[in-house]
Amino acid sequence: MTFKLSIVLPIVMSAIVAGCSDSEQQHPKAEFTQNPYPSTYTPLPRQTILIKNATILTGVGDRLDNTDLVIENGKIIQVGANLNKDNAQVIDATGKWVTPGIIDVHSHLGAYPNPAVESHEDGNEMTSPNTAAVWVEHSVWPQDPGFNTARAGGITTLQILPGSANLFGGRSVTLKNIPSTTVQGMKHPEAPYGLKMACGENPKRVYGERKQAPSTRMGNMAGFRAAWIDAVEYKYKWDVYESDYKAGKNPTPPERDLQLETLKGVLDGDILIHNHCYKAEEMAMMIDLGKEFGYHAGTFHHGIEAYKVAQLLAENGNCAALWPDWWGFKMEAYDMVQENVAIVDAHENSCAIVHSDSEVTIQRLNQEAGKVMYRANENGFDIKPEHAIRWITTNAAKSLGIDHLTGSLQTGKQADIVIWNQNPFSVYAHAEQVFIDGAKVYDRFDEAYQAISDFMLGQQ
Amino acid sequence: MTMKRFFSTCRIKRIASYFALATIGTVWATHTPAESIAITNATLYTANNEGTLENATLVFEDGVITSINPDTVVADRTIDGTGKIITPGLIGSLNQLGLVEVSAVASSRDAGEEKSDITFNPGLAYNPSSSAIPYNRKGGVTRSVITPYPSESNPFAGLATTVDLTGELDAKVDERAAVIAHLGAQDKGSRAAKLQQIRNALKEQQQKLAKAAEKKKKNKDKGEPSDKEQLLTALLQNNKPLVIEAYRASDLLALIKLKNDFGLNLIIAGANDAVVVKDALAAAQVPIIMSAMDNLPTNFDALHASLSNAAELEKAGVTVILTVGGYDSAHNLYQLRFDAGNAVANGMSREGALRAITANVATIFNINAGELAVGKQADLVMWSGDPFELSSRVEALWIDGSPYDTESRHDKLRNRYTTSSNMPEAYIK
Repeated sequence: MTFKLSIVLPIVMSAIVAGCSDSEQQHPKAEFTQNPYPSTYTPLPRQTILIKNATILTGVGDRLDNTDLVIENGKIIQVGANLNKDNAQVIDATGKWVTPGIIDVHSHLGAYPNPAVESHEDGNEMTSPNTAAVWVEHSVWPQDPGFNTARAGGITTLQILPGSANLFGGRSVTLKNIPSTTVQGMKHPEAPYGLKMACGENPKRVYGERKQAPSTRMGNMAGFRAAWIDAVEYKYKWDVYESDYKAGKNPTPPERDLQLETLKGVLDGDILIHNHCYKAEEMAMMIDLGKEFGYHAGTFHHGIEAYKVAQLLAENGNCAALWPDWWGFKMEAYDMVQENVAIVDAHENSCAIVHSDSEVTIQRLNQEAGKVMYRANENGFDIKPEHAIRWITTNAAKSLGIDHLTGSLQTGKQADIVIWNQNPFSVYAHAEQVFIDGAKVYDRFDEAYQAISDFMLGQQ
Repeated sequence: MTMKRFFSTCRIKRIASYFALATIGTVWATHTPAESIAITNATLYTANNEGTLENATLVFEDGVITSINPDTVVADRTIDGTGKIITPGLIGSLNQLGLVEVSAVASSRDAGEEKSDITFNPGLAYNPSSSAIPYNRKGGVTRSVITPYPSESNPFAGLATTVDLTGELDAKVDERAAVIAHLGAQDKGSRAAKLQQIRNALKEQQQKLAKAAEKKKKNKDKGEPSDKEQLLTALLQNNKPLVIEAYRASDLLALIKLKNDFGLNLIIAGANDAVVVKDALAAAQVPIIMSAMDNLPTNFDALHASLSNAAELEKAGVTVILTVGGYDSAHNLYQLRFDAGNAVANGMSREGALRAITANVATIFNINAGELAVGKQADLVMWSGDPFELSSRVEALWIDGSPYDTESRHDKLRNRYTTSSNMPEAYIK
């Protein structure tokens, strides 16, 4: 289904144009906002903080023992030994571990919120195999109690994706995990949009059962290709319009199309692909699909068989966002190995990520990553905590296009930080304090920093 | 049905589809060896009142634990357990292990029937060759209580079966270990009708029994009762556990009343609101089977879900069983020990958490295992360290005294794709 929306443009026809007898004056350029639902995020109240004597995992490969860290104006301004900072609130982190804020690249919080009742099923626009026109931010319920429980698990940034019923599920949105009454209030002001795509069993089942395309994997591919052909043509029309206008002509602008606008955003390099794709041969196919139409195949999500094509993923710069151990619920999830993330990670230029896809395990991505690390180390790997933390911080930030801002504890980065009671890769680990942009958003021992959803307030 | 946690089908974005496959099941073990084995110098987590025994010796023979810390160790073979921890084999519950190979593949599912009732016995379809069985041994799981999917029309779903995880084709099963029923949030209709159906079934059977007793006096025996009647009678005579999945506080109170009215051996599963009525549950001696990881209000029956619930119930004196919740809990059953660890991290005692995945399950479902005690079946796990911790692993495992390894096809796949060769991976076996 295609939404053909006529353009609502600020076209102001000048009175002069009609009566002009000599050279035709150019009409105002057809332009529309790329950011109609802009972020209104502002950091919560913050102060200057000096964290002392922590074991710090930087997120970029280092473990720093007995180290201090200074936060000022929402940024990390210093990491090192024996630091001092005037007027700073000092947190004694002796015996505690400090990591970057945890980032989940695959969440449906707010779109499939709890309570998981019919009225809340807003994550999958299952009415057409191509719903690139929908934006999941228009579904997100900020009062989902899952945002609060995720925050208590150290989640500071998360990408909300539409579901995987469709070949093109729609646009994702990246959120800062602060409580807000609006989605705009949580929306990451600088993160690019993502486009959810889905390979394999889901689209072919959902539409195949309705006796419509796609009903096979080859039908899936035909559906992808037809859409990208349209998108390339759409982009061409707009590019021609742009260049003609620039040349002083008065071209008629192409008709706006929400679906193709999103695909064009991918072709322009502004929107990143997030592709639900389990199987080795399908990931290889999707990489080639991107090359066929001139875009990058982005991050593969779930990738149960990513370990079978780990070298290919690394060579092509594809991230793989994976579970440590989910398996067996579909044929395409049958060939799980517990070392999947570690095998993908072992290749040069790889980008291995541990994701949740779950309102339950998003609360413990540290444990999810820990499972991978320990199982891999039992089977020939030698992975240290300072490396494994990348899977839920730096690499996740890279997948979302925000690694220049967050995901690591480096001078100048946003102060998205978790203080853990111990090594986070333990079943007994708790996030004790969580900071987003230098503002404390959660404290395990202070109810003043424990947000509660409107829905839960006053329930008996 | 919206019985979410233990018996659910996938959410819409993970909806299911369904084709066939062959399973690869491998049997490693020989049957119970006749030799006696002593594990020495180990730390024993007994899961009973003996607590933790340091530098201890445990001897087993013919599948049974024969002595703990004997004065003199007499055994055919000794295994040095220095630095190791021994626990009873862990016992899962309320999953479809061996009944479902791939949940989206209809032809690999045998856990449900559209019009199942109290007599439905999915244990007859238990497949010891399921690939999930060796996989779950990685988590030290040696037995499980497997259950039917909820019935679409009947509050009674059918019968639970206790199975071992030997993977042997002649694996021991107890097919009629408990009756399973469901009460709570529904997509259609009212839970009231379900509660009425349960009460009516029990009441009718009670009346039949009274009449039969009457007739017996008059020597007019009607003959063999039906399977349904026998099961209801077993419930009424308190010699078969009745597990009812329910979540909301008002439902839990209604079930306590049911137990008292009919003298049932009642266990409640799910029970997110149990903390609200914990004292009543403790007083009525109703054990709770729960997931330690539930802490979201999945519906209006679950507003009190919390990571601290297991600890709170333990403190109130309620017998707690922990099991792995969520869809495909059979495939994830190996995580049982991590769930127990999280329960400890949120306030449960270590011993209580261990019992919740061993002794408590065994007691309730009449399994002669689940603790390290003389006379119990030798279901044993030797751990490299803290059994609840992510970093530890199973080093050895015995079921009924026979050793089983933890290798599954997952390991074969990992090995295949981490071995270099100038030939395609298909040649690496």
